[in-house]
Amino acid sequence: MKIFVSGGAKNGKSSFAQNTVKRMAGSGPLYYIATMEPHDGEDDERIRRHVADRAGMGFQTVECPRNILDCLSSVDTNAAFLLDSVTALLSNEMFPPPLYETDVLAGKRVALELIELSRRVRDIVFVSDFIYSDAALFSETTEQYRRALAHVDRMLAAECDGVAELFAANVIWHKGGAPE
Amino acid sequence: MDLIIGGAYQGKLDYAVSTYGFNKDDIHTCSDDIVFARCVDHLERWTLACVRRGEDPIERFAADPSAWSGCVIICEDISCGVVPTDADMRSWREANGRLLNWLSLRADSVTRLFCGIPQRLRR
Repeated sequence: MKIFVSGGAKNGKSSFAQNTVKRMAGSGPLYYIATMEPHDGEDDERIRRHVADRAGMGFQTVECPRNILDCLSSVDTNAAFLLDSVTALLSNEMFPPPLYETDVLAGKRVALELIELSRRVRDIVFVSDFIYSDAALFSETTEQYRRALAHVDRMLAAECDGVAELFAANVIWHKGGAPE
Repeated sequence: MDLIIGGAYQGKLDYAVSTYGFNKDDIHTCSDDIVFARCVDHLERWTLACVRRGEDPIERFAADPSAWSGCVIICEDISCGVVPTDADMRSWREANGRLLNWLSLRADSVTRLFCGIPQRLRR
């Protein structure tokens, strides 16, 4: 089963996704695909805390900030996966070091790779961010990123069995519903 | 009038085209001006132009409801996020929100698009 989760910041997306994927896993293995790339000591500390929190919930953490299909080599695919977040993964792919120049093909590539990933594992939950309702005129680079993330979101929403929007810790199911 | 709203790049125009079968000539993409074609897209670009000219966009709609009563109107939701620091952006957000509320109450249907999926908010 595949679930796509989105919504604004601090609306309970990650908690909902963690609880949902844990239920999908049953007593089987449970993986967290970590996409954030640490940039300083503060990030390291944040990540260390999150890893410890999740270990208590039964998650095994797999670091994979780009080339997402690489994570398949080190896991049991007959398991439940949580990918949090699509937003960070796309950002890493679209603005790669050392030059951080925009890779305009990143959106199409990431969408295809995530769909491929979802077809190679038993269960997966994707978490993205709804960044499309600001009153602002963004730079062309930011607009390219918003367009690319929306492309990935829409491709995943079409592919997934369930599409959930989180709003103040409430769930709006736009497609499908909670897994059994 | 059918109103279609939602965030940027959520599939609003794709939905309108597939639902109503519009072709290119049926669609007016707003910029500084608005034309009440069968489908009016990017209404929010016109509200921004109104704000910059010091006009109230509701007045234009209120002046002649028969002009747009048969239209499909598509508008981006710009109502979330931090209060903009720029005065024009703040006025834009307010004017666009007020216009959407006004239109919503007069629409035959209101549909919101989320990640390409339509949600009917009003019959």
